[in-house]
Amino acid sequence: MILIDHDECIFCGGCSSVCPASAIELRGTRVATYPEKCIDCGLCVKACPANVIEMFKGIKRVEDLPEEVRKKYNV
Amino acid sequence: MADIETDVVVVGAGPAGSTFARIAAQHGLDVVVFDKRKEIGNPVRCGEGLGVAEVMKEGLDLPRYTYSIEIYGAKVVGPKGQEIILRNENTRGWVLERKYFDKWLAELAIGKGAKVYAYHRAFDVKRDADGITLYVADGDEKVKEIRAKMLISAEGMEALIARKLGFPTVHRLYDVDTCYQYEMEPYDHENLIELYFGNEIAPRGYVWIFPKAHKRANVGIGIGAHLATGNKRGGLPGATPKVFLDKFIVNDVQLKEASSLLNFGGVISVGEPINKFVDDRVMVIGTAAKQVDPIHGGGIELAMEAGVMAAEAAAKAFEKSDMSKDFLYNNYEAVWRSTRGKEIETRLKLRKALESLSDDDLNHIFDTLSGDDVLAVMEGKLAGPIAKVLKGRPSLLKVLKPLMLG
Repeated sequence: MILIDHDECIFCGGCSSVCPASAIELRGTRVATYPEKCIDCGLCVKACPANVIEMFKGIKRVEDLPEEVRKKYNV
Repeated sequence: MADIETDVVVVGAGPAGSTFARIAAQHGLDVVVFDKRKEIGNPVRCGEGLGVAEVMKEGLDLPRYTYSIEIYGAKVVGPKGQEIILRNENTRGWVLERKYFDKWLAELAIGKGAKVYAYHRAFDVKRDADGITLYVADGDEKVKEIRAKMLISAEGMEALIARKLGFPTVHRLYDVDTCYQYEMEPYDHENLIELYFGNEIAPRGYVWIFPKAHKRANVGIGIGAHLATGNKRGGLPGATPKVFLDKFIVNDVQLKEASSLLNFGGVISVGEPINKFVDDRVMVIGTAAKQVDPIHGGGIELAMEAGVMAAEAAAKAFEKSDMSKDFLYNNYEAVWRSTRGKEIETRLKLRKALESLSDDDLNHIFDTLSGDDVLAVMEGKLAGPIAKVLKGRPSLLKVLKPLMLG
């Protein structure tokens, strides 16, 4: 799955346009991600011009993320 | 029972969608346009450059508030700082104020009878034998059901609705540039768009300076997204467009002293158009169809042009009551591919040749070619300039050969 630093996100939709799994969508004023669809390809991480996306390979649920990561991203 | 019934529903009120809506409404069709942004044209995600050709062709007269300044041409700069000036009748254009330009295009469509809804996000679509149902959510996430005989996807880069209808709108990383831009001030300029090339400056891309009024300028960069390495992924740290752009700015005499008023970024397509623009009851136009110039990533002119073509095709389709894929293909897609498509194909080959050049090769080309040569290349007349380049550096034959064959 991926996490996005929403404070630094510039809301350009670049991640969504390269996501082959339709796992990222611009919704309202926020980028929504669907971890169950994410295939951990990392294309969004590379395309992101603001460098605000981090990938956590093999993890599908927020609960399984390391504690410090959850704190950092406030999830 | 649907909330709204119409002849044509358009997703996206950018230059493609609004141009389509204007011409289709002019032909007497009922057109409803939805845009997910709270305000048409805002936020701006664009360098805002527009050439003179499309606007002239359509006989449009840009109101003064829709653009920042007029442009006379371009200054193209090589890795060593060599400058080539491109300036003639065809290089004229504008640096727009997209916020106002897009609103103006939407207003022209409204003036012809189209209905436009901002802050309405299309999120799902269903097609059956009799028509298309589009589901949109308004600002309060209240869902509305739109029933139409035809749908136009003018959604831009993401193109989620077109994707749901089976169009291959996902971008390959290799075929996009990841971009960052500042609006800066003060910057003295000569009413020329400035483009800087070099592998150290912007790998597989370029830095642009688009001057604006009151000594402002859009200063931006695009680099090949496949070459960018988000450092959070554990790759080469710092290979992001912002890092390259910041490096350019501290090395520029003027810009290093300038302030920034606005930061933003985005991803632009520099690849080939998608392999189908139409299906039963559906046409995809503009950036959603990846109708973007592969050299500079500009899409406004192409979007407006496709909007006109698709609207003419829609008018015919309603006249003949034929919304089939074949009819739409013959009247829109085939027309586009046999005209503009050919030109884009050549420019894609040119992009691929350019991206394989070293800075040494680029320097040779910048030292060899004149402004007229580069203008000829931009118009697709490649033979003369290529011969000139090869004369001094025959080793480039391999790279440039695909261009000579067609």
